[in-house]
Amino acid sequence: MLVIRRRAGESLFIGDGVEIRILDVGPSQVKLGIEAPKEVTVLRNEVRQTQQANLDAARQTSPESVKNLLKQLRQ
Amino acid sequence: MLRCATKNFGVLEYEAGAVLTFPRGLPGFETETLFVPIEQEASKPALFLQSLVTAKLCFIALPMETIDPAYQLKVSDEDLRVIGASSGTSESLRCLAVVCAGRGRPTANLLGPIVINRDTRKAVQAVRDDGLYAVEHPLLAESEAEECW
Repeated sequence: MLVIRRRAGESLFIGDGVEIRILDVGPSQVKLGIEAPKEVTVLRNEVRQTQQANLDAARQTSPESVKNLLKQLRQ
Repeated sequence: MLRCATKNFGVLEYEAGAVLTFPRGLPGFETETLFVPIEQEASKPALFLQSLVTAKLCFIALPMETIDPAYQLKVSDEDLRVIGASSGTSESLRCLAVVCAGRGRPTANLLGPIVINRDTRKAVQAVRDDGLYAVEHPLLAESEAEECW
């Protein structure tokens, strides 16, 4: 992994189109400003994980899988 | 009564007032903005969230209190705005967890609960940012899961 040290107010570029600026550094959080072309999706990791979980969840939703699930939970 | 095609239950009749609007869709399903909850005696406490946009899309969800009675709901101001709620109206909020019930250990997404405002019938998948809850929360202890599968 590439590691870069930056201070508040400084920025870095990824490719030609994406700029990430460090807006503020707090005790437990950093505030980032991101400028990217419209077609570049910017997601928090948690949202991406939920996206993947939703795609997985949508595959198995028959009444049988609910029946199985409930049977297991009640055991 | 309105009618829609469903993934599991053929043609379903439902009341307009039962519809849940997800103004932003769900992560991975951004264009799925309308769902109807289907609660069946045999499936309780689980319920089905049937899309009204795509007949073959249906989620299984469990009320959060049946998974973790101590679950501490945390919804960002932005997500509250999406469902027309404010931080003072938490008693009108209902919280569901999307279940992944495929092969292997069933899990529920406690990182991104579905939060419904009962007053407006608007809902959002309110993905947390505090790292307190897992995206794949196991619904069974490990030993139980091994026995079952």
